[in-house]
Amino acid sequence: MTTRERLSRSDEDIAIVAVAQTPSHRHYDDSEASMLMDLTNQLLAESGLERSAVDFTIAGSCDYLSGMPFAFVSNVDGFGAWPPVYESHLEMDGAWALFEAWVRLSVGDIDIALVAGSGKSSPGNPREIFPLQTDPYTAAPLGLDPASVAGLQARALLDAGLATERDFAEVVSRSRRDALSNPNAQVKKDVSADALLAEPYYASPLRKHDLPPISDGAAAVLIARGKRARELAKKPVWIRAIDHRIDSHHLGLRDLTDSPSARLAAKGVGLHDGPIDVAELCVRYSPEEIVLRRALELAPGTAVNPSGGPLCGHPVMATGLVRVIEVARRIREGRARRGVAHAASGPALQQNLLCVLEGDA
Amino acid sequence: MSALPPVHYRLEYPYTRTTGPIVGAFLTALRDGKLLGIRCRGRVLCPPLEYDPETSETLAPDFVEVGPTGTILSWTWIAEPSRKHPFAEPFAFALIRPDGADGAICHALKASGPDALRTGGRVRAQYREERRGAITDLYFAPEAEAEDRYVPPGKGAVEMTEHLISLDYTEPLSPHRERYAKGLLDGKFIGQKSPASGKVYLPSKGYDPIERVRMSERDDVVVSDRGTVVAYTVITPVQYYGQKETEPYIRASILLDGADQPLGQQDIRSIGVADFRSGMRVRAVWKPKAERSIADVDNRWGGTGEVIERWEPTGEPDLPFEKIMEHNW
Repeated sequence: MTTRERLSRSDEDIAIVAVAQTPSHRHYDDSEASMLMDLTNQLLAESGLERSAVDFTIAGSCDYLSGMPFAFVSNVDGFGAWPPVYESHLEMDGAWALFEAWVRLSVGDIDIALVAGSGKSSPGNPREIFPLQTDPYTAAPLGLDPASVAGLQARALLDAGLATERDFAEVVSRSRRDALSNPNAQVKKDVSADALLAEPYYASPLRKHDLPPISDGAAAVLIARGKRARELAKKPVWIRAIDHRIDSHHLGLRDLTDSPSARLAAKGVGLHDGPIDVAELCVRYSPEEIVLRRALELAPGTAVNPSGGPLCGHPVMATGLVRVIEVARRIREGRARRGVAHAASGPALQQNLLCVLEGDA
Repeated sequence: MSALPPVHYRLEYPYTRTTGPIVGAFLTALRDGKLLGIRCRGRVLCPPLEYDPETSETLAPDFVEVGPTGTILSWTWIAEPSRKHPFAEPFAFALIRPDGADGAICHALKASGPDALRTGGRVRAQYREERRGAITDLYFAPEAEAEDRYVPPGKGAVEMTEHLISLDYTEPLSPHRERYAKGLLDGKFIGQKSPASGKVYLPSKGYDPIERVRMSERDDVVVSDRGTVVAYTVITPVQYYGQKETEPYIRASILLDGADQPLGQQDIRSIGVADFRSGMRVRAVWKPKAERSIADVDNRWGGTGEVIERWEPTGEPDLPFEKIMEHNW
């Protein structure tokens, strides 16, 4: 039995007991910390907890997005700087913060953690910032940006006969239509694939609508262990498993039509041990949905990105945690019993994290 | 007063990296107009890696020249290049397998247009006139459009690379920070008084971080321009990238009367290091109104702009340490 299985099958299961997210804004006129403060207050109000009852706080954010060294330190203000608690930070999406918090609670000495992710992409230029994630000798000096890499991935799918340009447009059309019922979505519209296909290329064979919008936003969840979870929430949403896998950072060594790391993560979380009612996938570029559907072997009955997904709102560093929240919300509302949230980082789905959530039977 | 213009700022990190024996050999070869791969269990990888991507084992420096021709495995036409891209005019990024290599290199492809490109198409390595031992020395072109140029070899091995990360940001001041900035132009320090704790924050971040309460314009208060030095440091400038100072200087935290949070990073030029001390009472001498600038006030650092001529001693007796110890660190 792996560590992961042992952790998730113990009597000390860990659940999401409250969720909060800001809308995805084109520009938010105050700080990340101020957004996190609103979310923290919402979570505490919903769970009836005092701030002092939170044992551990952890945030995911990106200093390059914020445009300041140590920007993440001021984000701690959002949680309330007093009283001090165990505190951690990742230069990763909030979904990875959830992973760390889940592992931290599994140690067994503390019960409650507050997890957040936040980012403001509007002040900077994401297209110039994200090449810095790539190899510093052979890729970053070329300004190799995620949209361009998504274009390479799209072409590889076309050439392999695994998708058509219409498939990409259909992903966008469906996502934007689904986003009409999501109050937090930034881009929503009933638009046909035909209308989308009439637009000019941006990073051929991709068009601008195949890319995510530039967004500001934040997301946060409160998680609790065992008995405490049942006390704090009428309908706790149990975290059954989380796994994170990475493909090579050398694009030329990867088969861009597939995602071996997503496949491995799916195996790691036991994705197919039961039916999956809903999957919220971190589809930042429309071809990624094609790749992920294949890699995760999703059944036709699984609802994919009913929120509209990142194509309709992409608050970088919160986008992955928003996927977790969207799945948790559906389980809590009784619209799904078991679901999977996916978070991604790096160009062309280089890093993949899966989180399986379940309601009570 | 009308709205202030958006704030622009630039974040820069000049990276200098050692190349090591594998990347160094690759970049040295690029400078000399050659493309190198490395042998890895029967395969040839280009660009060469220091390790086997499957087993993570260290690879011996067993290089083999590949290219200069190769095959397009995938490509995307970049209609609107970014400032960081290798070409200002539309071009392609492509995955290219150099002849003699397995796997591909991702690089820029300069072509007359997207119609000149197709998966499976043949390309040739091209080298820039000025080369400095970097990945940008190279680009590719479709074989039909490529030029055959003699590339004179350079001197020595490429042991270092330089990469200046330079990012630009533009955003409006947040509403509370804008009121603070306008106050500075007006010769006033505008802080915010927490409705929860009564503590006065200056400059305010728009919230009380202890009580977790957001604040609004109703909570704005004007704070005195007199105060007490609660902490300071004497900085001897190190000449790093971007350093503008050459002589030792003082940075002080000043707790203005009526505020609960010291104003940090105050530049002290007119009081000597020997005379300066915590507890000293000082007051702001404002610049003439026409000379005041808030160019360096932003949402991040706060700053006091170019509005204060200098801080000068008021001549009042020093405050005892017990009165300032909460702010002295």
